[in-house]
Amino acid sequence: MGDSVASVTDVDFALVGHQESWRAAADVIAHLRGPEHTPLPDDEIKDILPWIPPRTVCHVEVRSIAGARARGLYIDSFIPPDRLEAVHVRENIARVRGAAACAIKAGAKIVSLGGFSSILIEGNFDQLPEKHDTVFTTGNSLTVGFIVQGIRKMCALEGRNLRRSTLLIVGATGDVGSGCARCLAPIVRRVLLSARNVERLRKLAAELEAHGTQVEIATDLQQFSAEADIVICAASLGSPSLLLGRVAPHAIVCDAGYPKNLSPGAEMPGAKVFFGGLGQITGGLSFAPDFHGILNRHPFPDVVHGCLLEGMALALEDRFEPFSQGRGFITQERVEEIEAIAARHGIYLAPLYNADGPVENGLDCQAEMIGRMSARDKDQVELTAADFCGAS
Amino acid sequence: MEPVVSLNSLATECSSLSPTAPIWQDVLAQAMTGELIAAMNYASLSEICDDPEEIADALEHAQIERGHAARFAAEGRRIGVDVPNNVEAKHWKRLREAFMRCIAEHDFIGCLIVQEIMLESFAVASYARVGKVAPGSLGKTFAAIAAEEEEHVDHAMAILRAERALDAQRFDDKVYRLHLDVMTTLAKMLAKECKDGHCEVCHGNCVKPSLFDISLSAAELRGASLQQYLKTLDMLGLPGEVTLTWVTQLPV
Repeated sequence: MGDSVASVTDVDFALVGHQESWRAAADVIAHLRGPEHTPLPDDEIKDILPWIPPRTVCHVEVRSIAGARARGLYIDSFIPPDRLEAVHVRENIARVRGAAACAIKAGAKIVSLGGFSSILIEGNFDQLPEKHDTVFTTGNSLTVGFIVQGIRKMCALEGRNLRRSTLLIVGATGDVGSGCARCLAPIVRRVLLSARNVERLRKLAAELEAHGTQVEIATDLQQFSAEADIVICAASLGSPSLLLGRVAPHAIVCDAGYPKNLSPGAEMPGAKVFFGGLGQITGGLSFAPDFHGILNRHPFPDVVHGCLLEGMALALEDRFEPFSQGRGFITQERVEEIEAIAARHGIYLAPLYNADGPVENGLDCQAEMIGRMSARDKDQVELTAADFCGAS
Repeated sequence: MEPVVSLNSLATECSSLSPTAPIWQDVLAQAMTGELIAAMNYASLSEICDDPEEIADALEHAQIERGHAARFAAEGRRIGVDVPNNVEAKHWKRLREAFMRCIAEHDFIGCLIVQEIMLESFAVASYARVGKVAPGSLGKTFAAIAAEEEEHVDHAMAILRAERALDAQRFDDKVYRLHLDVMTTLAKMLAKECKDGHCEVCHGNCVKPSLFDISLSAAELRGASLQQYLKTLDMLGLPGEVTLTWVTQLPV
């Protein structure tokens, strides 16, 4: 942990990202300034950051438990955290395009587009620079995989039966939301889909209903006829502003947004909230300069968003292909494929946590859990806490 | 110190004073002083060149920069203000001294880095921003001069890229040494507030707080200048993660 990375000549992968809050951005700038310079005041950071062109921030090395290693770059698009709303989409696409150009110039073989960066290849693929040998992935398949794994794990920890659950997906027509719907619909009692675009909602509902799922759609969360007891928040929101309103007491709520979806003021007494879509690297992760805990701000070591991990896993596998592209193409089969690739290299579901800290009472069980899960019949739904928590 | 460009020699076309004229007067004074420093720098550069073509180029550039200064003076007269200049003002003097240290070492490449990469990044970006908000002829002049300055940079880039290709590490180390000297001074000039006292160019109080009245801000001019600087260094091939660290460590 924290080893320095040798000078990188071959770039296997590039991770394109942005900071989700001004606090996170301030920490990055403070780290770049170094301890000998006083941290910049918040107002100066807000003035300076929007002018920084997309560029490499640090070198990254990831190691597999199978012995492989891959070298890459973290490239920040420097999208200001308060300009993530749709009104800034043109400016943000230009920034992501600039970041993509940096990755291409560096000779990256595969690029994972984190957070809002994935807009570039979800619907704006023609905006990428032309003539290059670099492939791009949104990383959304592995994000979906870790969200679904997190839901299953939380259900097991809480003794819930997925088959008797009503699942609500907020942001259901997005790439991640629809992927979660396809993976979970066959194993829950009922699905509630919420998004802004009613036509897309109808299309997704028809697809799920064709496979026998009971589906309800609404653009307003208050319109649903039933309360959800499992919720996935996967909307593209500029800031944590989502108020779920009516959910079942003790509902399991997965906030998979980047930035987070749920408003800090959301009152859901009894709800079990966790942050979803996160994986943990167990073979080793290094940054140069050392940005541990700054670029990946999680209470557990070497935890990274699934979207970025997808590119790293594919690089470790020596599979440089655009695994996740476009919107609405994520299937359960593809999710299982990328989960298997990640697991081969020691990339597993991260320990579950939320804004208050770990939600597993200190049980450090994820690696054992995934190992067992991979070996089990994927169709088996009713896992128990012992399946997840090393009860041997 | 006497203005280097005589205002009396310029055609007069005064209009009535607008409430923002004193602000434009200070903006023009900074721009004009910068152009005169550039003219002096190119004249000094011609003295260390060996190649007659390089000497001619440097002298031509000096003449062009003097022409820019004259055009800024003329724009001042159009809006009814005299445009002073002060190449001895503390920040500008420090920038000139940094350039002259390169001259003393016969460091042609160092001179190009200071003038074309650092000072011109500042000029191109800030003139372009001013050009967008300044009214009429004033705006057109700033925009046109920004475009002309950008052409200068293109000329120097080819020379500097060739130099970096010979020994990238040595070249980057030189840029960093000059960055610490020159960009630290420029960053202080571009800070949102002048913390070291009066800049000795503005005719009264510091113009920065008044820039909002002409749809500008000191933060915007600084941001645009540093962005242009980073992009120029990118074009030279310096690693983006390295130049990012340099820029974030500048004073604010």
